[in-house]
Amino acid sequence: MDLRTRRKTTNVIALGLSLAAMAFGLFWLIWILWMVFEQGIGALSLDLLTLDTPAPGNAGGLRNAIFGSLVMVGLAMLIATPVAILAGIYLAEYGRRTVLGQVTRFVNDILLSAPSIVIGLFIYAIYVAQVGKFSGMSGALALALLVIPVVVRTTEDMLILVPNALREAAFALGAPKWKVILMVTLRSAKTGVITGILLALARISGETAPLLFTALSNQFWSADLSEPMANLPVTIFKFAMSPFADWQELAWAGVFIITMGVLFLNILARVVFRQQSANH
Amino acid sequence: MMPVEPVVQKLTSEISIRNLNFYYGKAIALKNINLEIYKGKVTAFIGPSGCGKSTLLRTINRMYDLYPGQHADGELIVAGKNILEKGVDTIELRAKVGMVFQKPTPFPMSIYENIAFGVRMHEKLTRNEMDDRIEWALTKAALWNEVKDKLNKPGTGLSGGQQQRLCIARGVAVKPQVLLLDEPTSALDPISTMRIEELIHELKREFTIAIVTHNMQQAARVSDYTAYMYLGELVEFGKTDELFIKPQDKRTEDYITGRMG
Amino acid sequence: MNETLHVSSQFDEDLARLRTHVLQMGGVVETQISAAIEAYSSGEVASVKTIVETDRRINQLERSIDEDCAHIIAQRQPAASDLRLVLGISKIVTDLERTGDEAKKIAKSVRRIYEAGHQPTQYGIGIRHLAEAVLALVRRSLDAFARQDAAQAIEVIRADQDVDLEFKSIIRQLITHMMEDPRTITTSLEIMAISRAIERIGDHAKNICEQVIYVVEGRDIRHDKEAIK
Repeated sequence: MDLRTRRKTTNVIALGLSLAAMAFGLFWLIWILWMVFEQGIGALSLDLLTLDTPAPGNAGGLRNAIFGSLVMVGLAMLIATPVAILAGIYLAEYGRRTVLGQVTRFVNDILLSAPSIVIGLFIYAIYVAQVGKFSGMSGALALALLVIPVVVRTTEDMLILVPNALREAAFALGAPKWKVILMVTLRSAKTGVITGILLALARISGETAPLLFTALSNQFWSADLSEPMANLPVTIFKFAMSPFADWQELAWAGVFIITMGVLFLNILARVVFRQQSANH
Repeated sequence: MMPVEPVVQKLTSEISIRNLNFYYGKAIALKNINLEIYKGKVTAFIGPSGCGKSTLLRTINRMYDLYPGQHADGELIVAGKNILEKGVDTIELRAKVGMVFQKPTPFPMSIYENIAFGVRMHEKLTRNEMDDRIEWALTKAALWNEVKDKLNKPGTGLSGGQQQRLCIARGVAVKPQVLLLDEPTSALDPISTMRIEELIHELKREFTIAIVTHNMQQAARVSDYTAYMYLGELVEFGKTDELFIKPQDKRTEDYITGRMG
Repeated sequence: MNETLHVSSQFDEDLARLRTHVLQMGGVVETQISAAIEAYSSGEVASVKTIVETDRRINQLERSIDEDCAHIIAQRQPAASDLRLVLGISKIVTDLERTGDEAKKIAKSVRRIYEAGHQPTQYGIGIRHLAEAVLALVRRSLDAFARQDAAQAIEVIRADQDVDLEFKSIIRQLITHMMEDPRTITTSLEIMAISRAIERIGDHAKNICEQVIYVVEGRDIRHDKEAIK
């Protein structure tokens, strides 16, 4: 075999292998999405949004779980985003080469890869166990702890991507540092930072583990953050494991809602990010 | 080095540089620079890469402050004050000494806000005054006619040449005494380059200009005085015509005629 | 002269070729002057035809060297010594071409004198001496250019002043001749034209040397009497 045919053959084999790998991955993904769709779409009804989770055999919906999830996720984002963005700004603009910066970055990376159940357990130990009961607030805190490292990381990365020339140009006009960061650097990185926030949001929307030890769940409607709070992931977990057919059907509906939500967030993040690229 | 002979016109010094040394950490980047930048004139800095010409420019507005480890000693006198001393208000200094960079750097905001940004750092203007200032600055930068109908559009949407003129307008709007141009046309096409050069001719009526350029012909075209720098030293400084026709130093001669050193 | 090589060897070659062409042109012009002097002394009128024809070649050389100068300016944007060299050459070729014209004028006058049956040498007033001196000036100016020798260029400029003095004395002699013997007027006028042409050639040699000084030192000494003292 001469060199050229050998090169061609290698190319064909490599291409074939990667195509097969891609097909393998896609196969499962499509199967999952298809199954969620098939099972979930049948369970969809207006009752989902108007009725709370029922006792077995009764008619019911997921109103309290959807509400609880929205509240806790929203609260978690409210707590985590400002803290994380400020930390990201510190890392990128002030602490790039400082010891504190290095340490923070290292700790943040550990937090980023920590299993979510560890975070749940942590909040359980420092909050739930101290107060003596599960609560929506502790659930939100656990989710917030998951958001922080993601947003810190993306904010820092996006700020570092801003060309130094832009900072210098702002400084050269006599702008003080905080103004340079606020008006120029952060603005340039805006869409990247928002993308990071959206991805973090998508990540915590489906988290079950940290909520098991914190918000627990609630069969009934509750808007009280100091009480256990219903939420989609734990409800799905509970209902799917149950032997009751109507509960299982509700679980599929919940799975469908979460999957669609996360899919939507991911697409949104991509659209936002593409806008940024188009502007530059 | 040839001392500058007094010429017919009266020259006043806008910036005096005396015994200036500059260090990147321990490495010395500028060695004992002595130079006058004359008021209302264009002074060009030429020399091979790494000769320190950009460093010198960035010393004049203390851009190096942003980077720990970089420092300068000697005297760099702007408006009667040695700006290398500790406790100098860099914000005030940068209101007097504006700078335009190699790559156009429009801020992520509208054309209007791009220019208002710098002005707001130093002055409190009413809306009307600000409108006037922006029109004035854009006119000075020969950009007004092209953008007057889209002041609220993002500055990043302009062409490269327009963006660079926007950056010049932004610098001019603060009404500095000196404009530092750090290779302002190296990222632009020939026509945009000519526009900027034309602009420099206009601007020197009101501002003192110092320009760093890799393009010797550009230095010859736009400047009144030229400084040739090599390995951190000022080799020769003099009137541009004389330096380009009859350089005094062999090193200058070799550089501007494109000979191997 | 800056002997360091350019980064662009093509540029070095262009400049070297330009210098060689100027010297070639100078050589042709020198030959023309010698031929004209020879015709004057010997009465070999046949060579006049060759001189007239060769003058066309000189004109062509001037055009082609000027073109090369324009080409280098457009392509290389020469600076400093390179710029002065190109500018200087562009002026030097003009002087060389005019020198050629003067040689042609001499040759034509010589032909008219001999065809009228006269002997210019009978007038015996040192034309030949003046012509030899001027020819030497042209040689030395070209030599100063070839070696980029400003000192020699100054010497040539000084020597040209002597040529001017000698020329004036020849004119006085001719006027005396004409007053003494009106029959000599026609020939005397021709000889006057010849000596004027020779004097002009001296001026062109001086101009060439002024350009050599500009090329070498960047000093413009034209119309500056102080500079050559």
